[in-house]
Amino acid sequence: MKLIENHPILDFHHEDKKKITFSFDGRKMEGFAGEPIAAALHANGVRTYRITPEMKRPRGFFCAIGKCSSCFMTVNGVPNVRTCVTPLEEGMRVETQTGKGVVAAEG
Amino acid sequence: MKSTEILVIGGGPAGLSAAIEAASLGAEVTVLDSDLKLGGQLIKQTHKFFGSKEEHAGTRGLAIADILFEELEGHQASGKVKVLSNATATGYYKEDGVVSYVVGEDEYVRIKPRKIVMATGAQERLIPFPNNDLPGVYGAGAIQTLMNVYGVTPGDKVLMVGAGNIGLIVSYQLMQAGVQIVGILEALPKIGGYWVHAAKIRRMGVPILLQHTISEALGDNLIEGALIQEIDNCFKPVGSPKKVDCDIICLAVGLTPTCELLWQADCSMKFVPQLCGYVARRDALMRTSHPDIWVAGDAAGIEEASAAMVEGRIAGLAAAASLSHGTPEEHKERSALYHKRLEDLRAGEVGEKIRAGLCEVCCECWG
Amino acid sequence: MGSKRVDVAVIGGGVHGCSTAYHLAQKGLKTVLIERDYISSGGSGRSAAGIRYQFGTEVNILLAQYNMKCIKTLQQDLNYKADIEYDPAGYLWIAYSESQLEQLKKNVALQNQLGTYGSTILNVKQIQEVAPWLNTQGMLGASFNPEDGHVNPHTLCFAYADAAKALGVEIQKQTTVTGIIMKNGKAAGVHTDKGDWEADAVVCCAGAWSVDIGREIGLDIPVIPERHQILITEAVERMKHPMTLCLDDGSYWKQCPNGTFMLGVGREEVKDTSYYASWDYLDAAAKRIVPKMPVLAGIRVVRQWTGPYQNTPDLQAIVGPTPVEGFYIDCGWSGHGLQFGPSVGRIMAEFVNGEKPFIDVSMFRYSRFEEGDLFFEPACI
Repeated sequence: MKLIENHPILDFHHEDKKKITFSFDGRKMEGFAGEPIAAALHANGVRTYRITPEMKRPRGFFCAIGKCSSCFMTVNGVPNVRTCVTPLEEGMRVETQTGKGVVAAEG
Repeated sequence: MKSTEILVIGGGPAGLSAAIEAASLGAEVTVLDSDLKLGGQLIKQTHKFFGSKEEHAGTRGLAIADILFEELEGHQASGKVKVLSNATATGYYKEDGVVSYVVGEDEYVRIKPRKIVMATGAQERLIPFPNNDLPGVYGAGAIQTLMNVYGVTPGDKVLMVGAGNIGLIVSYQLMQAGVQIVGILEALPKIGGYWVHAAKIRRMGVPILLQHTISEALGDNLIEGALIQEIDNCFKPVGSPKKVDCDIICLAVGLTPTCELLWQADCSMKFVPQLCGYVARRDALMRTSHPDIWVAGDAAGIEEASAAMVEGRIAGLAAAASLSHGTPEEHKERSALYHKRLEDLRAGEVGEKIRAGLCEVCCECWG
Repeated sequence: MGSKRVDVAVIGGGVHGCSTAYHLAQKGLKTVLIERDYISSGGSGRSAAGIRYQFGTEVNILLAQYNMKCIKTLQQDLNYKADIEYDPAGYLWIAYSESQLEQLKKNVALQNQLGTYGSTILNVKQIQEVAPWLNTQGMLGASFNPEDGHVNPHTLCFAYADAAKALGVEIQKQTTVTGIIMKNGKAAGVHTDKGDWEADAVVCCAGAWSVDIGREIGLDIPVIPERHQILITEAVERMKHPMTLCLDDGSYWKQCPNGTFMLGVGREEVKDTSYYASWDYLDAAAKRIVPKMPVLAGIRVVRQWTGPYQNTPDLQAIVGPTPVEGFYIDCGWSGHGLQFGPSVGRIMAEFVNGEKPFIDVSMFRYSRFEEGDLFFEPACI
């Protein structure tokens, strides 16, 4: 998983995008502002987003249009965030979600 | 409570076309799209489209999207069209026709439209096999999104399941992005997609294995390989499975129309295999059994972008006409033009399946 | 379509119909159960799925004691392979007014007197111990029983239906009763859209839909259907929280065993059995419940649905024989019917079989409305 630099048709202009930092399970990473969290995680080599509550199986990306719930992660303490359609922001705390998620104490 | 004349739910080729058409006749339109970027599946297509000149044959999908965006921008500038992305419609309330939607995670809004065009598209299907839930098993549309919209490769070695148009096209697009295709599996004894796409793939040395399926995905926490299995005409296994190395398994096994809002509106629905699932019954102007709701695009039956755009035009025209926008002459002229385009798109052997499916759900009029 | 013959025809595949059919079969009576859609598709499957000791009238308290005893071993007793999910998170009735607290005290006193010792009155500090996530500002007190709780409304019906089937009951789904067969003024079976069933007795457990069935044979069943709505949230990890109910404003909410929160609000609603949900319901639920439990503000709503209450003038059920010989009725449960499946299913079978019901339910008799002998159940929401 990496950023595509050379493509016969598409020019992604990665160098023109706004680069920001976020953390994944405490590790500092870089991504582009406004792009889905899942895209940034892929570019950083991360594919496992959560461990399922009952059978403890790893899950990641699947549909990419916010319909399947496979890509849920805990973001800034809030569980069950659809990382495939949620835009990345500066300083976001992205965490592998284990189980159902604990509701954030501040509403 | 917000209000609008025409609410278009879905900003892909069908929805955008509907919005543009309705606005061109003078209607005030609001478009909702649940994705971060408008354009639906169009903005992920790097290949050149077929069809007629009007449907931009010879133009790449993302260029067609740009053409639509430009037209749309004109109407946005004049205030006729408002567009909201990252906005997911969450319910249609039958008693009073109110639609609720959520912008991002936090903003919950209700809107009362006079008319609605449902252009909600489709979603990926999944086939059952052990470990089909592991990270690395992705839908074809998902891979296109990652690759063509955000410029990130999904992995290094892809096993493609499905040799319909989507399977063939996405394989080609993966190779353009520098990703290796280990092989394409097709359960049927023949390739489902257009021959021109298949030939391109074969020329690049990618094996297309007919009468093969995936029997198991391999890996503990991530995809590391797969077991592929030859099958006979009755889909029964022939011989023992073979192991292949891969880190991504791409499922291009079909789509199913997204219809929840239509069900909530109590529209008359029917299961039509040729249209790939439950779809709404509709008349020649794409109106459903609900007098204020039209449907267009993949939500009306799985087809492709060119047909989606024309259906969108028809639905937008009809919705605007129902609010007395445009003259009867304009309605007649445009309607005839669009119906001719659809006829041409669906002519011949290629359109047989769709025509058969449409027979099941097209009504003369709602009387 | 020829006519078939059984001893008893039961109308309605909710928990009362399934339980009644099971108990009839246990007594060796040849029974058919007729359901117009699928088992649990009516009020049962749509309910808030509660089961409790806490009631305010003697007959309900005695029946509840039996319900609660039953539910603890029902799965094994019926030899049911899936999970009935009896989950005793407790029921906490909170009071913001003196009058409400007085009523709760009366309810608890009556329950204690009749042998339900687990129900107690809590002060605010005790409320905070059993329900630490509540904002207790303004609360005067509450009544509580830790054994009250949740049951899966679908599997509860399926368990009885499967057990009934194993004892020889014929279950006819996707079948609509179109009329009652009458012979010499006696109920002698049912007409359905798939054929007739002749029977010596007919038991109507059709919930809100009993009114139409009864009207046709001259019975004026005083049940008014009322649409109620409920919403369910995403699943989160289990929190210490009992089912909390507030009669001051009609709100109630609990966390189900799978981690989802279920929120209900009783308010002015359309008086029909329509299944259309309304958007203003979400506002009502949020406004009344979130201030009482602020942490809920951070949980996402996933779905809302409707279900019909079947309300009688005194919010008490109508159970037993009717002026039409051979026609028995079990309906009018006014929003608390699901949990009475175990006890009343047994009682209906006893009525039909000519036995004395094991608990006296004469207060539920059909004739009480004519006689003006109404008695209100205060613990209804």
